[in-house]
Amino acid sequence: MIGSFITVRFITALTAGVFLLFSATLLAEEKPYAPEVIQDVVIVTAEQAIEMILSSPELLVIDSRKKTEYLKGHIEGSINILNTQLEREELERIAPDKTKAILFYCNGIRCLRSSDSINKARGWGYSNLIWFRGGWKEWTDKRLPVIIDK
Amino acid sequence: MKIESLSIRSSTIAIISMIGIIAIVLSMFAGTYFKQAALDAQINSLSRVIQVASQEMLKQLRSRTFDLGMKLGHSSELISMLKAPAAIDKERLVQLLDDPFVNGFVGFSEIDLEKIRVYNLQLELVGESNTGPAMLGDELTGFLVDIVKNRKVSDRLKAVDALWMSAQGPLFSTLVPLGGLRPVGYLEIIVNPIFNLPDIGNITKTPVRIYSLSGDMINTNEQEITDGHLPVEFTLHASDGTPAFKIAGYENIDELSREMDNTQTVTITGFLLLSFSTLLFALWLFHRFLFTPLGRMIGDMEQITHGKLDLTVNNKGLREFHILADAFNSMTDQVRMRTNDLQRLLDLDDNALMCFDHDNEAVYFNTGATSLFGYASDEIIDLDSTDLFVDDINQIIEQADVADGSRQDSLHARLGCKHKDGHVFQCDASINTVDVLAQNGIAIALNATPGNELVSSTQSYQRLDAAEETLSSLLAFAKENPGAMPGLVNLGMLHTGDNDIDEQKAKIREQVVKVMNMSLSCWEHDLCKTKLELAEESGLWPVYIDKSTPTTRTLDKYLNIASCPKNPRSQRAVDTAEFVLRNMMEKSPGEKCTELHEALETFRLLLSGIKSRNK
Repeated sequence: MIGSFITVRFITALTAGVFLLFSATLLAEEKPYAPEVIQDVVIVTAEQAIEMILSSPELLVIDSRKKTEYLKGHIEGSINILNTQLEREELERIAPDKTKAILFYCNGIRCLRSSDSINKARGWGYSNLIWFRGGWKEWTDKRLPVIIDK
Repeated sequence: MKIESLSIRSSTIAIISMIGIIAIVLSMFAGTYFKQAALDAQINSLSRVIQVASQEMLKQLRSRTFDLGMKLGHSSELISMLKAPAAIDKERLVQLLDDPFVNGFVGFSEIDLEKIRVYNLQLELVGESNTGPAMLGDELTGFLVDIVKNRKVSDRLKAVDALWMSAQGPLFSTLVPLGGLRPVGYLEIIVNPIFNLPDIGNITKTPVRIYSLSGDMINTNEQEITDGHLPVEFTLHASDGTPAFKIAGYENIDELSREMDNTQTVTITGFLLLSFSTLLFALWLFHRFLFTPLGRMIGDMEQITHGKLDLTVNNKGLREFHILADAFNSMTDQVRMRTNDLQRLLDLDDNALMCFDHDNEAVYFNTGATSLFGYASDEIIDLDSTDLFVDDINQIIEQADVADGSRQDSLHARLGCKHKDGHVFQCDASINTVDVLAQNGIAIALNATPGNELVSSTQSYQRLDAAEETLSSLLAFAKENPGAMPGLVNLGMLHTGDNDIDEQKAKIREQVVKVMNMSLSCWEHDLCKTKLELAEESGLWPVYIDKSTPTTRTLDKYLNIASCPKNPRSQRAVDTAEFVLRNMMEKSPGEKCTELHEALETFRLLLSGIKSRNK
């Protein structure tokens, strides 16, 4: 009786352990996508981004990736501010006008850095935000001009 | 070959053998076809792999040239020169363009840089590096021109590239905008793709040779090629669709064949083992559930058809055989019942029915016959036709055949018959020849009620004919089933078909005659009595009255080997000898008595040996 009870407990514990391990593995492998839309934020393609950059010289382009990634190649005229390092004071310093158009991009649709930065900026009252959701991957896939720092 | 000569066992074994042979042949064919198909698939696969690898190689090349183009394309000096085309310092421009050749660049060793050229936005050549071939002309390749001119404004910033055929051979060009997002011209990076093509071998893991369209080898990845390598060609086309060069990858067929042979051996062996195991199992199933029960049934059926009507066919087997055996058993029961009924009817028939074999010995007789002639049933069996009839039956039949050669019906005659008490009487008879054990015999039906006036002569003969025909049919059945009719005592004994038994019967006859002669000799010489006295005192032998003279016809037959019946009454001979011995022991036991005793013992031994063997 006791033996069978211990056996049942052991099997239950083993099953639960395997289930948790399996779930964790699945979760670990599943890299999230960036949101499809962000409220009150304009999403643009690479071509639309170029047109905006060319037509609005005052457009602020923020690269939300890591510094190393930025140095390997970035869009001409962009400045690098990692999403985790984006501070309100810093943003207000480079864009005091909260209605100023600001374009954010990061690595692509599997990257959450630019959306995170945008959410921060929205929270700080910036209203003219543009999101290049396709990011660096779309840019390089379309073989558009890049700046490569040594 | 007749279908009847084939047994289910041999047919099944033949079919299973055929399936086995077909399995072997098919596996051989399948193995060969599998090998060829695998080889074709491998070659097709390698061709596709070369195609993909060449695309991958071009992609890497594209990436390298794009990186170089991007680096040069942001050169402020170049940009400023193109912004003021009228004041271009050509020498300085060439120096700038030659710089990557002189000072190198990131990935320098991974491409074979041929030329760097600069164009204005109208795609007019502004300048080119001194390094590299000088025969490329002063225009951008037409394919790239078409692409650039047909693009939308936003697309003009995108780098484009092309594999194109120059006067010196195939070249790969990447055109990038000069000046970044605000281009002032274009930069063309020209490389030789042949330098990178052997890298295809690193992807395909095979030796690779690059050939020009004229068939000259222009590059290789330096891997050894043996006779066991099969070339797989792929033609790489330029961007405008014209063939650029041939890439030959070499598949190691020997290694592939070795692997395929191993696979083939394993799969065929496995298949054959599985097939043969299945066939053997099927054969065992057939043997267990088909051949064995069927063989047992056939054995039983053969015994039944040879007369053992009391036997039943073993009905243990598959459903169909069970039904068949039961049907056969019920059929046998019917035959046994009908035959017994028929024989009982014949036995009880008022007419005297009898049958004699070719030696004129009685084979069958019914109760009508025994009562008509006044003999007991064990007496009449020792008689022949001459003992019972005054007329010679065979002669009557021969005369009738001579008179009517085409006679098919029974012969009707009035026969003179001898009663046991010696008186002779006349009887209407229906006589016919019958087949008794493949020899001519005679079936006779006698009208045992001659005084019945109510029955006309025709009706009487019709009855006799019917009785005689029934007897004939029973005899025919008894011929096919000896032993089936216990009433046909001699018939069952006569039928042997076995040389050993024939020899035994001959020995028995000899011994019977010997014992009888010795018994008679002792009786006459030692006891001084006659043969007639032996028959009368022993009560074993009938005494006949022929013309008022008592005779011992039956006893006489047992004294001569020629007249002794083929199936002599052995027990009667033994009883006679014992009777003589008893008398001699009482009166004059002597040497002859001992000899008779020895002969009797020998005879008994012979009989007991035969009986035990027959068991």
